[in-house]
Amino acid sequence: MSGVFEFLFKYRAVLFEEGELTFLSPWPTAVAGLVAVAVAVPAVVSYAMARGRSGVADRVVLGVLRGALFLLLFAALMQPALVLTSVVPQRNFLAVLVDDSKSMTIADRDGSSRADKAITLLEPEDGVLARLSERFALRYFRYGSSSSRMSGPEELTFGGSNTRIGRALGYARDELQGVPLSGIVVVSDGGDNSDEPIGKALLPLRAASVPVFAVGLGDEEADADVQVSRVDAPAKSLVGSTLPVNVLVEARGYGGRTATIVVEDMGRIVAEEEVTLPRDGQPLVTPVAVVLEAEGARELSFRVAGQQGERVLENNELRTVVQVRDRTEKILYFEGEPRHEVAFLLRAIEDDTGVQVVLLQRTAENKFLRRNLDDPLELVGGFPATREEMYGYRALILGSIEASFFTHDQLEMIAEFVGERGGTLMMLGGRRAFSEGGYKGTPLEDVLPVILEEPDGSTPTERQVFVKVAPTAAGALHPATRIASTVEASAARWDSLPPVSTTNLVVGLKPGATEFLAGTVVSGAGPSADRVVSAFQRYGRGRSIVLAVQDTWLWQMDATVPLEDQSHETFWRQMLRWIVAEVPDPVEASAERLSVEAGEPATVTATVADAGFVEVNGAAVTARITTPAGEVKELPMEWSVEEDGQYAATFVPESDGIFEVAVDAAGRDSTVFGSARTSVRAAPSTEEFRDPRQRRGLLQRMADETGGRYYTMETVDGLAEDLRFAGGGVTVREERDLWDMPIVFFLLAGLLASEWAYRRRRGLA
Amino acid sequence: MAGLVAILAAVLVGRPTLELGGPELAPTPAAQGRCDLQPRAQDGAPAEWHEFYFTRAAYSSYRRGWGRRGGAWATDYPKADRQFLTVLRRLTNLDAFECENAVLLDDPRLRRYPFLYALEVGYMDLSQPEIEGLRDYLAAGGTLIIDDFWGTREWLQFEYQMSLVLPGRPIVDLPIDHPLFSAFYEIDEVLQVPAFRRGYYGGDYSERDGFVPYVKGIMDDDGRLMVVINWNTDLGDAWEWAEQPTYPLDRSTFAYQMGVNMIVYAMSH
Repeated sequence: MSGVFEFLFKYRAVLFEEGELTFLSPWPTAVAGLVAVAVAVPAVVSYAMARGRSGVADRVVLGVLRGALFLLLFAALMQPALVLTSVVPQRNFLAVLVDDSKSMTIADRDGSSRADKAITLLEPEDGVLARLSERFALRYFRYGSSSSRMSGPEELTFGGSNTRIGRALGYARDELQGVPLSGIVVVSDGGDNSDEPIGKALLPLRAASVPVFAVGLGDEEADADVQVSRVDAPAKSLVGSTLPVNVLVEARGYGGRTATIVVEDMGRIVAEEEVTLPRDGQPLVTPVAVVLEAEGARELSFRVAGQQGERVLENNELRTVVQVRDRTEKILYFEGEPRHEVAFLLRAIEDDTGVQVVLLQRTAENKFLRRNLDDPLELVGGFPATREEMYGYRALILGSIEASFFTHDQLEMIAEFVGERGGTLMMLGGRRAFSEGGYKGTPLEDVLPVILEEPDGSTPTERQVFVKVAPTAAGALHPATRIASTVEASAARWDSLPPVSTTNLVVGLKPGATEFLAGTVVSGAGPSADRVVSAFQRYGRGRSIVLAVQDTWLWQMDATVPLEDQSHETFWRQMLRWIVAEVPDPVEASAERLSVEAGEPATVTATVADAGFVEVNGAAVTARITTPAGEVKELPMEWSVEEDGQYAATFVPESDGIFEVAVDAAGRDSTVFGSARTSVRAAPSTEEFRDPRQRRGLLQRMADETGGRYYTMETVDGLAEDLRFAGGGVTVREERDLWDMPIVFFLLAGLLASEWAYRRRRGLA
Repeated sequence: MAGLVAILAAVLVGRPTLELGGPELAPTPAAQGRCDLQPRAQDGAPAEWHEFYFTRAAYSSYRRGWGRRGGAWATDYPKADRQFLTVLRRLTNLDAFECENAVLLDDPRLRRYPFLYALEVGYMDLSQPEIEGLRDYLAAGGTLIIDDFWGTREWLQFEYQMSLVLPGRPIVDLPIDHPLFSAFYEIDEVLQVPAFRRGYYGGDYSERDGFVPYVKGIMDDDGRLMVVINWNTDLGDAWEWAEQPTYPLDRSTFAYQMGVNMIVYAMSH
């Protein structure tokens, strides 16, 4: 189409877009107009006065045709021209940025790789880009994770593990600061895996009128492909805990096929999940239950085997690192009366070394039973009265205990335990829990994820109902309520469990809360509305969870449950491990990026607080880094100033492998605040192979926003001319005649032919 | 008519029945009216919801006790149960149903009551469904309290019955520092609790050759106390007759303390 346009109009369309139309005739416009009228009027008059066989319509048609002919001739005589701003040869610089990342090695459908195409464009003899040197001083750059100057295509390695296109644009602009820069040519497949928005990099180019001319390489429609696009896993876990991992799988061309997600811990298969591959454009999030038994930084691989005919296999696997800790997390369970639930709960988690449930049970007025203590004096005064004592636990379970048992300060302390310390509050169903326990209007009402109803004064017997419990859509996938290895098996297990009872009317969720388990009333005297059985919400730094039933022990004890069934134990183990999973310590460490490439800087941050979880700014914080080779380096961590209690240190991993980081924090007066561990994985990134299609959208946007153009391999031949007229830098005004455009000749001939044909048809010739 | 036949058949073969009667059915005035309103346990679940039901095992025996139609299982029933529950509710803040709750060992509803009390087990003669029912009950997490059997002969009979229920499980002595003895009250000595007449008339509290009281237990693989065995002692009679001024106060006090401790222990361990 563009070829036809160029044939008819002598120049390419882009020149008309860039230039301005003008007439070069020395005659002033007014004089020219008078001459035109002087010629046209007699012609029109003579047509109007002509007689014979012609009618009015014939005279109008012939008059218009003749008039148009005169106007066209007149316009041509006025010497129409296109005024263009053309860059001055060899006075301007042109930056040529070539994508040097791994994704350029992907072969397209025509059999050649993107790298081959880029090298063809750069051929010194007849490459399209090389020809630009006739008019521009070319400066070559290559970019991947970093950017650098290059003298020619022979320096390209196509080994970059990341593409940071925005940084590359900024780098080129900075390098050519102070010289007339006509534009930047980017040769790329459009892949960009930096976190920075591209708009930020384009803004200075727009301000400096430096257009980007993007040459897009690679197929825009990719072949059939499966990729593991994302893995969401917690950064830390307990030994033996079920790790809640969500794996995002995308597929093209394999919709409906069955594949297996294989999870490996340092080469050992720890989980397998069969999935039905999604249809094109429909990402599939699959929860995978992973149990890690070994302590330390564990590198997990999530892989889907290559499918038949799949060409890009590098994106079938994604890796992450999880810090697995072998320690016991303390939970305080405060129960207001003797209940079977207590015994069965404690038995369920008896063998679990990951959690320690410290029981404080009121057995009579002012009489307490204490179990699972670290110290004989622990909780000897009853429920904690100070924040230091309370904050030593990571979660608090409240059983059937009325709100009036607590002082107002204790209720506020529990709310702060969740909101500020980041602990978890779990409230169990019972005759003294929820609104039946008088919690409406207390500081805990805000903390809970459910709406507390107005108490109606009925007895527990009048309120009691049995509910059949089933996981909600969120609960079916959640590790706390997924009680079998697969979602389907878990749903079947839930379905097999007997109904349990509740005397609490818990029916409303707060906005933002997530419901795990729902209860359908099957019998009982109480209201028949469906119950919220389990739900959670975030509250400040922590979480609150409810389990509004009172006899989950029936899932273990009832005659309909086979003796070998482990649902009750599994449920409580997973629930309790989950409620302590994300609870912070006074000192926490994390890596800004879990995975970097060797040679790239890695930043480790730490938050430091005292035993009351008040952030500390003046602490002495050090990071001890153990390299994969076993060498230990010590780095001081500096307070970030921007946020209280936050410290950071940066190091450069020099080899591939896991770099374990131990952070120790102490006060200036030798107070030890604590220590924490994290890790950084150094490895070549496979980011480049995520979605191997050409990202035309990004390239097009770069061109559109800067006044440049986007090219494919088919249209790139026009680049040199476009650059001549669309580029910035040192320019001159250039006029191009238009009177001799073929379209003028065709129009003249067409008008004459039309007139003659009309006359013939009407018998006027 | 059918009920009569059932009772007759049960009496002849020693099968338990939940029909009540006999001189010991003299409920406390407070509980009398309310408990009469409750449907019999065999008719369905108790009409009121409570956290705790003092559940009595109704089992087969080869001797029917002292003329009571319920058989050996129904000794002291239901007065001891009701009186103990009255005191239990006052001493603790346990939400206990105030009436008796007798359940057959082969009734699936047994698994709704994790606490089970059985006495006069020296006459126990369990059928196969009862053996399996009790075995599964204990394996599922239930706790069985044994009371009121005396001397070597009754011990051997009970031991044999337990060997059928829990083959290979040893019966062990519970030392006085076992948490059972401090779950609610601090008990530092196991006293012998006499039957009503021996307590009433004074003298030797023991019966047959059961001179020394014992508290023994049977554990599961995880060390959980599944069965608590009170041998050569009669806690139930003390609960039943504690209001009698001639019944020795120290023994009835001990009996109530042991009862409370066993329940609190079972509900927290």
